[in-house]
Amino acid sequence: MSPVALPGSGQNVPGFGDLPIWLVLIKVLLVFVFLVVMTLFAIVFERKVVGRMQNRIGPNRVGPWGTLQSLADGMKLAFKEEIIPVLADKAVYWLAPVVSAVPAFLAFSVIPFGPTVSMFGHRTPLQLTDLPVGVLVVFACSSLGVYGIVLSGWASGSTYPLLGGLRSAAQMISYEVAMGLSMVAVFLFAGTMSTSGIVSSQDHLWNVIPLIVSFCIYAISVVGETNRAPFDLAEAESELVGGFHTEYSSFKFAMFFLAEYINMITVSALATTLFLGGWRAPWPLSLWHGANAGWWPVLWFVGKVVAFIFVFVWLRGTLPRLRYDQFMHLGWKTLIPINLVWILAVTSIHVLRDRGWPAWKATVLPLGIVLLLIVVPALMAYEGYTARRLAAAAEDDEDAGREEPTFPIPPLDLRVPTSPVRREPVTAGLRGGATALDRTIDHGDTSDG
Amino acid sequence: MTHLLLAAGNTAVSTPSVSYHALAPIFIVLGAAMLGVLVEAAVPRAERFTVQLMVTIVGLVAALVVVGLLHGTRTTTPSPTGNDAFFAGSLSIDGVGLFLQGTVLALALVAALLVSERSVDVGSPIVASAAVVVGSADDRRLTTADRVQTEVFPLMLFAVSGMLIFPIANNLILMFVALEVLSLPLYLMAGLARRRRLLSQEASLKYFLLGAFASAFFLYGLALLYGYADTVDLPGIFTAQQTSGKSDVLLYTGLALLLVGLLFKASVAPFHNWTVDVYVGAPTPVTAFMASCTKVAAFGAILRVLFVGFSSAEWNWRPVIWAVAIASMVVGAVLGLTQTDIKRILAYSSIAHAGFILVGMVAITKQSTASVMFYVLTYGFTTLAAFGMLMLVRDPDGEATQLARWSGLARKSPVVATVMTVLLLSMAGIPLTSGFTGKFYVFRAAWDTAGPLVVIALLSSAVAAFFYLRIVVMMFFAEPPVDSPTIAIPGWAASVALTVGVVVTIVLGVFPQPVIDLASKASYFTG
Amino acid sequence: MHEVLLAAGPLRHGTVPLGEAIAFWVLGPIALAGAIGMVLLRNAVHSALSLVATMGCLGAFYLIQQGPFLGLVQIIVYTGAIMILFLFVLMIVGRDASDSLVETLRGQRWAAALLGVGFALLVAIGIGRAVSPVTPTDLNSPNAGGNNVHSIAALLFTRYLFAFELTSALLIVAAVGAMVLAHVEREGPRPSQKRLARERIRSGRPQPLPGPGVLSQHNAIGTPALLPDGSVARESVMVGSMESQEERQALPTPSAGEGGFE
Repeated sequence: MSPVALPGSGQNVPGFGDLPIWLVLIKVLLVFVFLVVMTLFAIVFERKVVGRMQNRIGPNRVGPWGTLQSLADGMKLAFKEEIIPVLADKAVYWLAPVVSAVPAFLAFSVIPFGPTVSMFGHRTPLQLTDLPVGVLVVFACSSLGVYGIVLSGWASGSTYPLLGGLRSAAQMISYEVAMGLSMVAVFLFAGTMSTSGIVSSQDHLWNVIPLIVSFCIYAISVVGETNRAPFDLAEAESELVGGFHTEYSSFKFAMFFLAEYINMITVSALATTLFLGGWRAPWPLSLWHGANAGWWPVLWFVGKVVAFIFVFVWLRGTLPRLRYDQFMHLGWKTLIPINLVWILAVTSIHVLRDRGWPAWKATVLPLGIVLLLIVVPALMAYEGYTARRLAAAAEDDEDAGREEPTFPIPPLDLRVPTSPVRREPVTAGLRGGATALDRTIDHGDTSDG
Repeated sequence: MTHLLLAAGNTAVSTPSVSYHALAPIFIVLGAAMLGVLVEAAVPRAERFTVQLMVTIVGLVAALVVVGLLHGTRTTTPSPTGNDAFFAGSLSIDGVGLFLQGTVLALALVAALLVSERSVDVGSPIVASAAVVVGSADDRRLTTADRVQTEVFPLMLFAVSGMLIFPIANNLILMFVALEVLSLPLYLMAGLARRRRLLSQEASLKYFLLGAFASAFFLYGLALLYGYADTVDLPGIFTAQQTSGKSDVLLYTGLALLLVGLLFKASVAPFHNWTVDVYVGAPTPVTAFMASCTKVAAFGAILRVLFVGFSSAEWNWRPVIWAVAIASMVVGAVLGLTQTDIKRILAYSSIAHAGFILVGMVAITKQSTASVMFYVLTYGFTTLAAFGMLMLVRDPDGEATQLARWSGLARKSPVVATVMTVLLLSMAGIPLTSGFTGKFYVFRAAWDTAGPLVVIALLSSAVAAFFYLRIVVMMFFAEPPVDSPTIAIPGWAASVALTVGVVVTIVLGVFPQPVIDLASKASYFTG
Repeated sequence: MHEVLLAAGPLRHGTVPLGEAIAFWVLGPIALAGAIGMVLLRNAVHSALSLVATMGCLGAFYLIQQGPFLGLVQIIVYTGAIMILFLFVLMIVGRDASDSLVETLRGQRWAAALLGVGFALLVAIGIGRAVSPVTPTDLNSPNAGGNNVHSIAALLFTRYLFAFELTSALLIVAAVGAMVLAHVEREGPRPSQKRLARERIRSGRPQPLPGPGVLSQHNAIGTPALLPDGSVARESVMVGSMESQEERQALPTPSAGEGGFE
């Protein structure tokens, strides 16, 4: 069995691209099954954890301890009746869930699950594939995933989904910038963009320790990137009913659901890969020599991913949703500038070390310069700005205090007018909503709101 | 010997050596532009205009001085060091480049003074706030306000930096980026007129769309040339014509598409369609800037592409230059005859002049290079002053550019009419003005190789002279209209600018020899 | 059978690997169809989506032609960022907005189509003839050992150093230009939330304005909402989008307190 020369094998990272096709197909299947199972697990996990946080039990009827609840929900969704709005743009309406789900699956193809193992007589890495620009694959997939949300919002032909789509377009573009910048420091440290290379560069020290700033920014921005609470403005149920997927039902809705959870798993896996040492065993375990060999690393990898997912759930259980403008301010005016300054510092440290400076000097000097010249003046300027704003607000308060307006209330002797005569709808057909509303008003029946 | 170690540690790249002193003019202008952006953010609005003007003037003057100090340089930069593969420097600082850089800087200085003229119109010829919706209440209030969109100064400096790089770019990719750096600010500046804002915004949009289209042609040509020569360096393309075994179709198609992009910027017919509308819509000082500086930069780039990259293919591109030169001269002269608006007439005249400049390019000689360089210098100053004069003759709602409004102007203001007459005579090519000397040298350089073309050029300049003289006759011998336009008294800035323009026009007409000597001394390429 | 084919060495189609040839002949028509659809489709969003398909295919082409960095950056930047912003604008404009298709110059479209096709044929035949004797080469040596990114970096920082640095000037101009064209500077201090609330109550209309298109047939922001009795809710649309001058004047002027969302 000679290896198949794939097109452009010269561009591959060593160790990939020379596998028999059947082994590649097996790997594809394994990744797919892993993702679907993880999704089912993550949904139950989330409901259970949130339940505990709210002092209740969570789903506990289907299967042992309720573990099969999400499987049952999934089956139910698939068999539900599908409703397509009259005004929907059929082709795009159909395309959107697909565009949402497919990149989510694709992104996982470059995530390393473990080191090289023996599989059916072949020595092969536990990773579907890798490219010299592996992390960019994940990034590209997440940027394609935006289309699913934006298009579903537009194609539904309805106002709330449109608003949800608009929000998510702006939000995901903004947070993609912060997310991409937080990866730059990792690339500088590892000297490569390939995921397997990044993992192997963390054999002494996980990136999370030297690059703690990047890690924090990454963790914040991926919450925005995956539309999870407290940044779930695209589907804010209290403002937009269901946001971009209001008009979706049945299997198409399930696709969005699937995509959301897979995205969450993907960014967790990427965080593990970039910052948490990938499949490497955590400290006390790593003292045992066998911990980083064979199939054990898959366990450490999954454990880290689940821990990261737990943080997602924790955030959802704890924090209220942000206002949209505050959310954009956080992205553009806080995360991105901090990130740029941080990258500047990391680059200087890198260059100084390459020039042969002692490590402590090369680290302290750039950090000190950055702190003194950029961070402190920026903080002072911000303090001054806040103080001025507060002073202006106080002044505003004083001169408006004289005549305090109140919400207009009806006079006490208000004569309630009689109900108007019911009018015929202006045109038949599409105005069903208006007619129903008329009828409701006529009968004075507001009990079922 | 500095080594930049890429992070992987296995690939060492030698830092190329950059001769910073030769690039100093570009860095000064770019630095001033970025300083201007910071000024916009940091300085309160009351002082912003003054500070921006200072930054602009100081930056341009400093760059001009450095260009003077650099005379005689011949170098290409950045150049490879260490054991890297050979590559040609992407910027070649040589006589032609420095002469054109100096011309651009001098013209930009005068144009900046015109932009900063605040006495003829309320505030400035530049809009108070470009983002305010036209016709809204805010817009009406701001029309009479003192406020100015001062971003125009940094934008202008960015455009100038692009114009400084464009004629010295030795590498087509850099030439493309420079083309965009000079175009993008111009697209914006065209939309900043204080009066008739919708017209100005339309001009901006037209310029942008057509400019993007022309850039696409340039890029397509660049790609084909890369396919032919395996390099985008102009000297590399020249060498490839002797050595490459590939089909010449790639070479000629590539050159043709590249020229479309370049001729568009130089507003040469048949790629001139944007010119008139954009010149009319843009604020007049910006029009003056575009008509003078952009032409210098664009013809500099054409000179370099043809004379450095394609000098051995001369027999193949010469007929093309013949054709577009004739088209440009005829279109400019004939359509100029039918116009009734002075701004439009000047726009058509700029198309015709582009044709005259091309006449100088049909022969690859030192003499023709020098004549083209001299022509763009003289034409730049004349057209700058001519557009500047349009700012002075005003109606209540802005500049009075209708030809009829100018009749009998000499009775109202003999000075304005006389100055305008000198400028128009120079454009027509009447002796004792710089226009005559410029045309004389260009035609003499082309006479040996392209006699018939020179005859056509002479004929069309005779036709063009007719409409220049028509304006002169109207100003001096026609009756003034009943509600004749007012003549604004220019402030110091415009006075200096107009004086410089007119003085240069006359001096170079009477006593051109030193500048011609300078141009012929500077007519050498490196690359 | 399978074994035999594999043992025969790398599969090739002419001078290129078979896989590359298959990918090209599948994606090529899609890219072309996307480009044509972008011009011909009437609905602006469909048009934009066609362009997305073309961009994506181009990214895939770069990938199979051994430029992984270029291919992915093409997808991230063009497909992921620029086209999303395009869609963003189109969505704000509204799904039913369409251009006036009246020709101002008679016969212009036919002339343009004729000349365009002629030009395309000329270039296509010329280039087709020019490149037919050329043998393709691969990028194995610059890409060796996963060094694709390093090779690009080395080129950017030596040979194209100045062009690369100069693009930063371009970006600054673009940013300044966007601010000049779109940013209306605030005059005076920013009103506090309290003041906004007060003004809103003083205005006599404390409740928010009705959203556009609610209970009507379209969801474009230019389409006014309908009141329960079928009449048009004028406050639901912005002043700028009303069709006629009279309508604009008939509208009540919005007071400072409304639309406090920024």
